[in-house]
Amino acid sequence: MSLHWLKVAALSSVAAFALASAASAQTVRVTVAEYSSKTGAYFEKAATEFEAANPGSDIQIEVVPWDVLQQKLTTDISGGANADLAIIGTRWLIDYVSQEVAAPLDDYITPEFKARFIDTFLSPSVMDGKTYGLPIAASARAMYYNKALFEQAGITAPPANWDEVKAAAEKIKALGGDSYGFGLQGKEIETDVYFYYAFWSQGGELIDADGTSGLDSEAAYKAAAIYKDLIDNGLTEPGVTSLNREDVQNLFKQGRIGMMITAPFLSNQIKEEAPDLQYGVTAIPAGPTGDRGTYGVTDSIILFENSENKEAAWKFLDYIFTTDKRAEFDENEGFLPVNAEESALPLFADNADLKEFTGLLPDARFAPVIPGWEEIAAVTSNALQKIYLGEGEIQPTLDAAAAEIDGIIAANK
Amino acid sequence: MNRSIFTNPYVLTAPAFLLAAFIILWPLFQIGEISLNDVNRFGQLRGFSGLDNFTAVLSDPQFLAACWRTVIWTVGIVAGTILISIPVALILNQDFYGRGIARVIIMLPWAVSLTMTAIVWRWALSGESGMLNSALRGLGLIDENIQWLAQSGTAFPVQIAIGILVSIPFTTTIFLGGLSSIPDDLYEAAQLEGANGWQTFAEITLPLLRPFINIAVVMNTISVFNSFPIIWATTQGGPANSTDILVTYLYKLGFNFGKLGEASALSLLMFALLLFFTVIYVRLAMRGDRA
Repeated sequence: MSLHWLKVAALSSVAAFALASAASAQTVRVTVAEYSSKTGAYFEKAATEFEAANPGSDIQIEVVPWDVLQQKLTTDISGGANADLAIIGTRWLIDYVSQEVAAPLDDYITPEFKARFIDTFLSPSVMDGKTYGLPIAASARAMYYNKALFEQAGITAPPANWDEVKAAAEKIKALGGDSYGFGLQGKEIETDVYFYYAFWSQGGELIDADGTSGLDSEAAYKAAAIYKDLIDNGLTEPGVTSLNREDVQNLFKQGRIGMMITAPFLSNQIKEEAPDLQYGVTAIPAGPTGDRGTYGVTDSIILFENSENKEAAWKFLDYIFTTDKRAEFDENEGFLPVNAEESALPLFADNADLKEFTGLLPDARFAPVIPGWEEIAAVTSNALQKIYLGEGEIQPTLDAAAAEIDGIIAANK
Repeated sequence: MNRSIFTNPYVLTAPAFLLAAFIILWPLFQIGEISLNDVNRFGQLRGFSGLDNFTAVLSDPQFLAACWRTVIWTVGIVAGTILISIPVALILNQDFYGRGIARVIIMLPWAVSLTMTAIVWRWALSGESGMLNSALRGLGLIDENIQWLAQSGTAFPVQIAIGILVSIPFTTTIFLGGLSSIPDDLYEAAQLEGANGWQTFAEITLPLLRPFINIAVVMNTISVFNSFPIIWATTQGGPANSTDILVTYLYKLGFNFGKLGEASALSLLMFALLLFFTVIYVRLAMRGDRA
């Protein structure tokens, strides 16, 4: 190829430059996701502390908003300009591992280091028996409810199953005014996840034992019928397909939503933005047989295979996974403790909201580790939006989505 | 006459040509290479795959739907913009008190980044706390909030309207330039002959403005066809892909799903489509000019 020499020349000059700078200092570049306005400051502080304790090291932090993180990492990696460490969604990890972009960490992990973690959160980053990432952030979901609205409507106990959710929403609707019973997310990222709460409670599985989609099952039809019934009876906010997770959370903070399912960080937001809001946190509603599932999410920090400073990068990882640094991070961001010693700190152990979340962890399910998951999630969200809008009947729409998902799974095998 | 090599027109245009070729042709070549290969999500080539990526894109029902929507999107915005910009330019070309301020107001949307405008509109269109609903309620035009972005039936027309709004400043500027190039004595002569306002517009202004309208059509078509921020910031092409145009569909393919091969094939198809229609339009318009 005529332009090949140009690429080689460009790459080798980049490499030469990287070598030259590596010789002068132990530079470690870290791409971090911006969880909140506190994230950047936290990592900058950690970098400064680490540099003071390790003379000659230089930690460079790059803060990237979540929305463009995947795009930035993809672009950096294809140009060979990626950092040494990066935070990624654990559900993306399989691509990084199968393309040999992420380096296994087993050579560095000592039994003592491994013992720091709660196993539930470390396990999603383990593939083929090797650990490819460390859980930098962990979260689960539970149901928030507005105590003031519940009191006005005469609801005494938070609903434990979907029938009680509907009954409570009807009472809140009967109050009149501009409050809505059940906050239902119908737009953008995690629209599919909001459906899984009902789906899992009906005993559904995202991927059946035979490796195909579980959307063409009785559980899925029933779960969709529960949500559709709430929408049709005016028990959700109107226009669900125009509200993403943040939009529903904002309505909840304004005191206009009776119940919604979301992550622990809403507690932090309420503390700062709506400190007077009377709310409670309870388990995700159960299905007829008592089944319930919460969505567990972890983000992993990974070490790149092409990193030139793996030793220094590991030392920095070791530092940010000490109990004190983890506690500081999780308190800032409103994440669940991933570190066993950390979870015993009074800060977390005595937090009533967090207890509800950690209580649900035995029921936590993670996004299936299969290639093409993002596309499968998009197909699911599209099908749900059609159902919510009344543009498709429940069963044929879900069956068509399941067939499309089976095609994606087969193509990626 | 003997020319120095330094005044040879080819030599003089060579640096600009090389720069343009570097900026345009090199990426095009790279995209072409990726589109003919099996490629992973990090852009690493995994072997030649022929036209697989192209057939995958062309056989996706989403592609045809997005194509059709792109046509509506482009024609709607370009036609709407031209129809509104001509009278706006005519008015701003008159001499009246406060013309300077009026011109600034028309141009202001241009000074704000498109993404910013789109995000502001997303808030304004919010069903529960949006300004548009509260304004319409205040005026007594509606009793119930309209969920503008909840379904494509309302979302897509509103997105086209936003597209028109942000295209007006640039188009009006072109037309104002065109109007100032029409000599005043033509209008004086017409007045002497007793032509009314409509006749002056139809027989003098419009024909002399033709080349500027052609420029406005071509430039707007190119930018609107590839316009990403308005749709992405308001609906991300949803609900259920019902407001996807080609460029938002392309972003999803490339960055959300990591199918860089198919994304490259699609962007080549889009490039070809745009080139095809622009060339046809320019040829038609030029033929009209000569006649």
